[in-house]
Amino acid sequence: MSILWVTLSAALAIGIPALATAWAQSRIGPAAAASLAEKPQLSTTVIILVAIPETMVILGFVVSILILLRGEPA
Amino acid sequence: MIVPMVRVRVMGPRDLLTPVLGKVQDVGLLHCAPAPEAGPLRVNALTPAQTRRRRQLLRILDDVESVLAEATDAPGTAAASAPDCPRWARLARGTRRALARMGDRLSRLQEEQALLTRYQGFFAAFEALLAARSIQPGVSAFHVVLRADQADALPALERALIEHLGDASEILSRRLPGGETALLLLVPASRAAGVERLLAETRVQEVPVPSGYGTSLLDAVPRMRARAAALPAELEALRRERDDLLRGPGAELRRARAVLRDQLAQLDALGLATVTPNFFVLDGWLPAGSEPRLTRALEREFGATVVVEVVDRAHWEGQDAPVVLRNPRLFRPFEVVTGMLPLPRYGTIDPTPYVAVFFPMFFGLMLGDAGYGALVALLALVLHRRSAPGTTLRSVAEVAGPCALFAIIFGLLFGEYFGDLGHRWLGLEPIWFDREEAIVPFLVLTLGLGLVHVLLGLVLGVLAGAREHPRHAIGRGISAAMILLILVAILGAVEVLPRAVLTPAVVALLVAFPVLIVLEGIVAAIELLTALGHILSYARIMALGTASVMLAIVANRLAGAMGSVVVGALFALLFHLVNFALGLFSPTIHALRLHYVEFFGTFYSPGGTRYEPLGHWTPRATPTA
Repeated sequence: MSILWVTLSAALAIGIPALATAWAQSRIGPAAAASLAEKPQLSTTVIILVAIPETMVILGFVVSILILLRGEPA
Repeated sequence: MIVPMVRVRVMGPRDLLTPVLGKVQDVGLLHCAPAPEAGPLRVNALTPAQTRRRRQLLRILDDVESVLAEATDAPGTAAASAPDCPRWARLARGTRRALARMGDRLSRLQEEQALLTRYQGFFAAFEALLAARSIQPGVSAFHVVLRADQADALPALERALIEHLGDASEILSRRLPGGETALLLLVPASRAAGVERLLAETRVQEVPVPSGYGTSLLDAVPRMRARAAALPAELEALRRERDDLLRGPGAELRRARAVLRDQLAQLDALGLATVTPNFFVLDGWLPAGSEPRLTRALEREFGATVVVEVVDRAHWEGQDAPVVLRNPRLFRPFEVVTGMLPLPRYGTIDPTPYVAVFFPMFFGLMLGDAGYGALVALLALVLHRRSAPGTTLRSVAEVAGPCALFAIIFGLLFGEYFGDLGHRWLGLEPIWFDREEAIVPFLVLTLGLGLVHVLLGLVLGVLAGAREHPRHAIGRGISAAMILLILVAILGAVEVLPRAVLTPAVVALLVAFPVLIVLEGIVAAIELLTALGHILSYARIMALGTASVMLAIVANRLAGAMGSVVVGALFALLFHLVNFALGLFSPTIHALRLHYVEFFGTFYSPGGTRYEPLGHWTPRATPTA
């Protein structure tokens, strides 16, 4: 497989989830800040809510690494 | 663990209810609860006099708390020998009012000081201008300050003044240290109104003379200087007066606070009892094994007239019982992690011991560097020294200790000492594997840990729900078994296990799946998929760990990449600092998330009531009013 396709796939595998995570966190962040201003006791819930979308980029990172490791040109 | 509780019922003649409550409060063990109304037993609603008294106590307590919030000296809680509420009410109200008056005066003086400081530069400049030019009668003076960005307004203003007044006006100017320009305009008094209009049109504002210092700047400047010199002493005297005022009644008001809170707690407990015209019943919980202490204390005081009866376990619901956590010393600091969520319900499982094992392990796996681990240990030590026992900060320090230990252990296993610095300088090699190279083994390790953690959660869920929801518990058990079967099938398929295990595992899965659906419905299938997703989520440990080691290596390579050794070392140090800060923050957040979402989600039942026995108030006790 061409190194171009391998690197492009790996980049897409992490890039797209990173954008998705960023978009999700951009929506959660302001809502969380507003909630915290009214109810500071929600801090734990807020931490969890902000950390939840990070799963996407973390799994994207793992897939990306696997693509790079498996797709080394012969 | 959640301490086992027993429900007890204290019974006796109605006229002894208040003294009994007093004794119960002295013992400090009984968490009072509303007793059920039955037969002639009715809830002991507070009388109008008691309600009035409660309101009065709350009012006095509000005044006392308000005064004590201002007091800064060490707290004390000596028991009051002779409660004197009317005197305390007068003392607290009087002190509160005096403090409010002093507070107002203090803020006025501080505002005045701030104003004088702000205008000091301006007035010093005008004073110098005024000293250079004496003002004759019939001449009006305007004091103007041009901002730094209005410097070009000066020639325009000069032109406009000459146009309007000819040679009758004079402008003196002086630059201020902040870049502004102080202008003193001297014009005939008869033309002053026109000049005011001109200033307004050119959007240049006159500096007003602060009120109370005279009408002209010439009079005001010396007065303001004198006032600025006198203010610090006046402020200091007022602060001393305030401290003296607080020091006087402080100790007595602290005594009053304790007594008032005790009386309020007793009144609240009074309303929880049930009574007949001659008899009272007081229900509550206390930790199992401590009921003889309460019985003995009441027996000593009231003899056989007051009875303590233990309610049979079959007659009370676990969800009503209050919760108190008791863990070994080593695990106790981790209650701060579980304490961020609502308390677990009585009869379920306290996850603190599991958190105490897995939280530092996950943190250590993610940071995984002996050098960074040593820094975390140092931070933990500093925090420990600077925190008082029993505070959240002390708990954080005690949680950070094991986290640092695990980071150092995994750092040694992965051969990481500030990234690859140990390998470069001292030739140290990993004992287990190199995280930089062995990415797939690291991924397998973290997924394996995730499998163990999620399975443990499911098993705990089975144990927690076995008594109250047996069907659900069996469903959880089958889910756990199916996850194991899926693992066996995968390992058989990739020939890590003998291929012969594949078929039996798949058959067992095909049998277990319909049983699961019958027991828990189609939701069980979704929950099973969620559990599998949760296991994959532990890949974040590998992702963050790899990112951490890569950043540390980049920091070390930066040192060599720069032209100068010193600049390179500084860049490397800065990069390591950033990586260390990330290494503290990210693993903490993600270890918390793995616990709260992936682990607790399988068994944790929040919603427990905190055990708050009726006792004497101390500064650390939870307020009862």
